[in-house]
Amino acid sequence: MICAGIDAGSRSIKAVLFDTSRSQILASGLADQGVEQERLATELFEKLLREAGLERAQISGVVATGYGRNAIRFADATVTEITCHARGVHRLVPEARTVIEVGGQDSKVIMLEAGGRVRDFAMNDRCAAGTGRFLEMVATRLDMNWEELSGLAQQSKKPALISNMCVVFAETEIIGLLAQGRPLGDVVAGVQMAIATRVSALAGRGMSPPVCFTGGVALQPGMARALAEVLACPVQVAPQPQFTGALGAAISASPANQAGSGL
Amino acid sequence: MNPAPRKLDLAAWDERHEQLRQAGLREPDYGGSLRRHVIHGQDFRLEQLHFDNSPAALRLWNFLLTENERLAQARAQGDKIVGTMKDLGTVPVMAYALPGLRAFYPDGAWWTPCLMEGSDKLFQQADALGIDASFCPARAMLGAFENQEHFPAPDLLICSTGAVCDDFSAIAQRLEHLGHPILWWEMPRRRRPAAGEPPCALPGNLVAPKMLVDCVQAELQRVREALGELAGRDLDDLLLARGIETANQVRRLLAALRKTVYAAPAAPLPALEMLVAEMLALHFCSDRAESLTVLAGLLAEAQSRLQQNQIIIGPDAVRIFWVNPVADLRAMNLLEDLGGRICGSDFMFSHALDLIPEDLPPLEALARIALADPMVGPTSDRADRIVRECRENQVEAVVISRIPGASHCAREGEMIREVIQQQLAIPAIELEIPPVCDALLPALSSRLQALMEIARARRTE
Repeated sequence: MICAGIDAGSRSIKAVLFDTSRSQILASGLADQGVEQERLATELFEKLLREAGLERAQISGVVATGYGRNAIRFADATVTEITCHARGVHRLVPEARTVIEVGGQDSKVIMLEAGGRVRDFAMNDRCAAGTGRFLEMVATRLDMNWEELSGLAQQSKKPALISNMCVVFAETEIIGLLAQGRPLGDVVAGVQMAIATRVSALAGRGMSPPVCFTGGVALQPGMARALAEVLACPVQVAPQPQFTGALGAAISASPANQAGSGL
Repeated sequence: MNPAPRKLDLAAWDERHEQLRQAGLREPDYGGSLRRHVIHGQDFRLEQLHFDNSPAALRLWNFLLTENERLAQARAQGDKIVGTMKDLGTVPVMAYALPGLRAFYPDGAWWTPCLMEGSDKLFQQADALGIDASFCPARAMLGAFENQEHFPAPDLLICSTGAVCDDFSAIAQRLEHLGHPILWWEMPRRRRPAAGEPPCALPGNLVAPKMLVDCVQAELQRVREALGELAGRDLDDLLLARGIETANQVRRLLAALRKTVYAAPAAPLPALEMLVAEMLALHFCSDRAESLTVLAGLLAEAQSRLQQNQIIIGPDAVRIFWVNPVADLRAMNLLEDLGGRICGSDFMFSHALDLIPEDLPPLEALARIALADPMVGPTSDRADRIVRECRENQVEAVVISRIPGASHCAREGEMIREVIQQQLAIPAIELEIPPVCDALLPALSSRLQALMEIARARRTE
């Protein structure tokens, strides 16, 4: 049985085709987010179907997740990112007890029980501090792309101290640091530490290891290191972290997960 | 024949009201279509809400939304108006015991910016008076006192201070500086008796040192004298005892309504109407006798629906306990749209739902109930009560809503959440709901939907 998951995030749309009987990802893909979310999601979905050599009729169910999930009208059901990331990570890293997802617009800490059931969660979605938006602001300010930003952070020997409370305040601090001639790598690494500190505050006292890091920001190598340092425990990056939510959505589309879930 | 229970938007209620009117619906003098509150009162938020379709709910909403008119009429008839603040449920029992007095909570103006979607400009006026958005939305009352466009200026203002909300005390202090004299009375912080200290039982399974009850009683004596002076008649024990009896009639009705609705396998009335009904406990919406009629109508409707197996939210809905009142009423509709139902609540005034002891000297009885206020004691007391009620009604998840700026205790929500998770092992979330939450609706929906998913997943595993 093949199911599809669509994760309509704030920065990009991700999609996964998943064979539930063989527990195997058949195809995955990503497209930039835009105003016409449903059209973009449809195009991405159809592209994956072509790549996998499948017809629409062969897909047993489609679940949409992400902040734009309600705009994906061809989905059979919607499930929140909390449940989807939990299911996606549990499939990939079954031993994980805490999921940290840092996306473009929000961040989440999801505590799991053995078996992958969600025990608790916390979200930050009212403030750019602690989200990928913070890194985007720095990239724009430094006129760099994400890859360049990541490379710079790895060169840092002493991350700068930057406020984790507010991106607007932090931007002023960054301008000040650059004016003082601080190395760019220290500034970027400082931003990563600020995000990690903010996320750790979100995790609070309920967090337990092993910790799995997912979401688009997990692709920045320095971020996992910063999180591990702040949380004082190892942090494992999920395989293909940007697709965890879409994978969880595809898993949620299987009849076994829909039974009794109100979907 | 009554149609099946369902929720209606304002347009559908217009039609329903017309049908009811043609069918001979008898309404009180404050009755009429809900639409008129949008047209005349600029209560624009009503256009975003969904209401229960019963005549009992119509009466409840009309009763709520005509309170300022009712106060103005009372003033015109020669009644004295008492603005009582912060104690939430005690001083109004005393005021209504005296003929010719009407008490209300000016603090209730905190809901006005939601109902009027900010068109009232009350927050801006409070800003201009130096009480900005870092304060509780109760600051809206400053603007209402200044512009006189909402409630009539009270003849007497009474406010509790001390172990109550520090934010509110600051707002009320500013009000006094603006030329509105206040009779302050002190509320000590409730604590458990120390070893050897004579204890005193309070409503809600609480206990406090007797000396604290004596202290509150002495403070309420000052309030009693001020009310008597305003009314031109002593508030003697007989009058006070009668006032307590009538207040308890309201509380008994509410207790029966809460039990009927919250404990039922499926909900006969929606969460929004229940929230408004519970609010009547505070000051009877400025008409004690009518609040009894309104509540009796709602109770009869709920009982009748259950007898006929007519429900408004199905038995599959996730059973939710809701902590704290919401600043934006849409949150109550949203919870039900996402598959939840309210099966318990603590809207910050649970002491106003408890019966006032009738076997004690009346002022002492009121002192005991005032001291049982969840806001003046340790958070653990409040959490214990929530846990107890969650168990009684088989609650599956808890929502703790916060109002931006309201800072009774910055960590209270987190502490309640920890107790719930330790003692009940059910999911609990904290949500921030500002007075107009339109921009936050997607985030709010996500969190509530996630809570439902987690609760449902626990059913199947």
